[in-house]
Amino acid sequence: MIFLSALQEMMRLEPAMRKMLRLTKREYFAVIKTKGFIAMLILLPILMSGGFIAKKISESRIDTSDKKIAVIDHSSVMAEALVDASEQRNKTDVFDTETGKKQRPSYPIEILTPNTAELRKLRLELSDRIRNGDLHAFVEIGADVIHPGADRQASRVAYHSKNSMTDDVRGWVEWPINNRLRSLRLSDAGIDESEVKDLFHWVAAEGLGLATLNEETGELVDAERTHGIEAIGIPIFMIMTMYMMILIGAQPLLMSVMEEKTQKIAEVILGAIGPFEFMMGKILGIVGVTLTAASFYMIAGIISLNIMGYSKYINYSLLPWYFTYLILALLMYGSVNAALGATCNDSKDVQSVAFPALIPLISCMFMMGPVLKEPMSEFATIVSLLPPFTPLIMMLRQSVPGGVPVWQPWLGVSGMLLFTVFLIWIGGRIFRISILMQGKSLKLKNIIKWGLRG
Amino acid sequence: MDVHMATVELEQVSKTFGSVNAVNTLSMSVPEGSIYGFIGPNGSGKSTTLRMIMNIIYPDSGSIRLFGETITGMDNEQIGYLPEERGLYKNMKVREVLTFLGGLKSGRNVGPEVDTWLEKFDLMDWAGKKVSALSKGMSQKVQFIATVVTKPALIILDEPFSGLDPVNMETLRKAVLELRAAGTTVIFSTHDMNVAENLCDYIFMIFKGNKVLDGTLESIQNTYRSDTIRLRTDGGVSVLNGLSGVESIHDSGQTQELRISSMSNPQEILSQVMARTTVKSFEITKPSLHDIFIRIAGDDEIGASHA
Repeated sequence: MIFLSALQEMMRLEPAMRKMLRLTKREYFAVIKTKGFIAMLILLPILMSGGFIAKKISESRIDTSDKKIAVIDHSSVMAEALVDASEQRNKTDVFDTETGKKQRPSYPIEILTPNTAELRKLRLELSDRIRNGDLHAFVEIGADVIHPGADRQASRVAYHSKNSMTDDVRGWVEWPINNRLRSLRLSDAGIDESEVKDLFHWVAAEGLGLATLNEETGELVDAERTHGIEAIGIPIFMIMTMYMMILIGAQPLLMSVMEEKTQKIAEVILGAIGPFEFMMGKILGIVGVTLTAASFYMIAGIISLNIMGYSKYINYSLLPWYFTYLILALLMYGSVNAALGATCNDSKDVQSVAFPALIPLISCMFMMGPVLKEPMSEFATIVSLLPPFTPLIMMLRQSVPGGVPVWQPWLGVSGMLLFTVFLIWIGGRIFRISILMQGKSLKLKNIIKWGLRG
Repeated sequence: MDVHMATVELEQVSKTFGSVNAVNTLSMSVPEGSIYGFIGPNGSGKSTTLRMIMNIIYPDSGSIRLFGETITGMDNEQIGYLPEERGLYKNMKVREVLTFLGGLKSGRNVGPEVDTWLEKFDLMDWAGKKVSALSKGMSQKVQFIATVVTKPALIILDEPFSGLDPVNMETLRKAVLELRAAGTTVIFSTHDMNVAENLCDYIFMIFKGNKVLDGTLESIQNTYRSDTIRLRTDGGVSVLNGLSGVESIHDSGQTQELRISSMSNPQEILSQVMARTTVKSFEITKPSLHDIFIRIAGDDEIGASHA
């Protein structure tokens, strides 16, 4: 009986749905056909990876002018270590082995004899030389570095330069010094270095994945090394594209609804179609446009990964989830934006509502780091089950190797569905009431009142 | 089909916005196939009433019936609606936007009808141009076409003639008459009392949310005495000041209208005027719709007190 009346209801609604889809079709093509859409499709990835590209460009433009380092060696046995290391570096790292072109600066070492009486004056002199560019840095090696004692200053290596915290050279300097320190300490302890070659062999813990059982063939599949691409690259790609898609998909709705209101098109449309169908028609148009763009990016991404040889890291089972989250997210954020757009009378109003509506979305970006690091933590789990955050955060958690327990995405999607239906219902009411109201500045409490009472 | 069926029937319809009583227990009956004029000052509840007929706004109380049935949201395929505040998608081409709007309303391809109307309104050259290229008069005509292109049985026009030059106004007027001749019921609201007088079979006036006039022009005028003298003189309005028995003078430049008190004798007034100047024309008549409108809406009382 219920089924029959539901069917009857659907038949009654069928012309309404068809009208709505006509509107959707118009909205969809109105965007797709514009040059702006094609341009955005191509430019967006360039913009988003702008940081990455800039880094690559800056790397290829390294300043190759030499960085001279002055050394004050109180221990009197360390300085040659730096000289040797610098010369070794000149042979291997500074010049390109094929072209002979200088790729990186060399680090010439200038050894100074320490004069304890005039030490502070010497430091000032060296600092001035750094300021006028004659020197890059000066290093003061304490007398007790071989066997560090209570005197802190004598047991340390002090590195002075303009920006010593972020200075690469400071890191480089540590290696030859510590290697020489080891040798010296060994010989002090009377141990022949050649007998204890692997004393300092640091064993890194390699990151591997999990062993699996191939369900078709019954074969055991050994664990494979995890790759940065899998652990970080693909998850970030997916979440960034989804973020972009939601941002660029939902935002224009605000403007578009406001324009239709202020250009008085809204009432003309309402003469033909109900307000709810009007709102949904527009939202579905945006969903269509965004899905088109997202498919484009997914296909481009898959092709690129295949070309780069990373095809085995692609988890195809994520794709249906990706598109589900994207569609629900667009419905969610879209209905909020459409409803708010109906309350706006000019672009100033639009600007003041645009940002608050996006706060949940933007805050996902800040949570990316912690979630990526600890996808199974309580924080990550709870946040991923909150509907405004589910599309991005749950997607992120799912795409990290190891995944999440099966029930969680399903719970997330259910939560999103309910929340989205609720938002569409409220948004529809706000839309219906405000779309024809001109001129009054609409207060938040009025908007909420309409949403709840209709 | 019952030939006396009212196309639109409102019964005791009320609508309040906040503290404002926009429409107050309004009852209205629009006979089928008539041209029904809906007049009233700005803010009187005209647009609200029309929107309720269109089911864009819902009444707080009362009932509205269209073609004999209580309205539901999706029945407005048979109604063409031209809202007072109207716009079109600026970036769409003329023919595109008309086919879209017509298709949205009727669910079918209205291409042939679109072309017929564009032809009739002499807009075929503009069919492929963007809406933004149209002048105001042209876009009004296009909006009118959008309203009628699905051949609705009822059309509601809210201020269709506003801002039109006489030529375009005539085009639209003729179109309305043709539609009526084909059996369409037309409700239109206007501020132009001349048009209302000439075009409408029935007049309905709303003032502050209440009905104040309802009937044919003749029946409305019959509730007033012939208390108006319409005249043209050589001296113009300046010679008419201070005539006894005259309650008010309305100056239209070349013609003046005198409202005379119930006690006075028009013949007597004529002699007064003749004593002052040469009379070119003199007519004793009932007040014009324009005059009636002002009498009702100009005073704060509803329902002019007329003897």
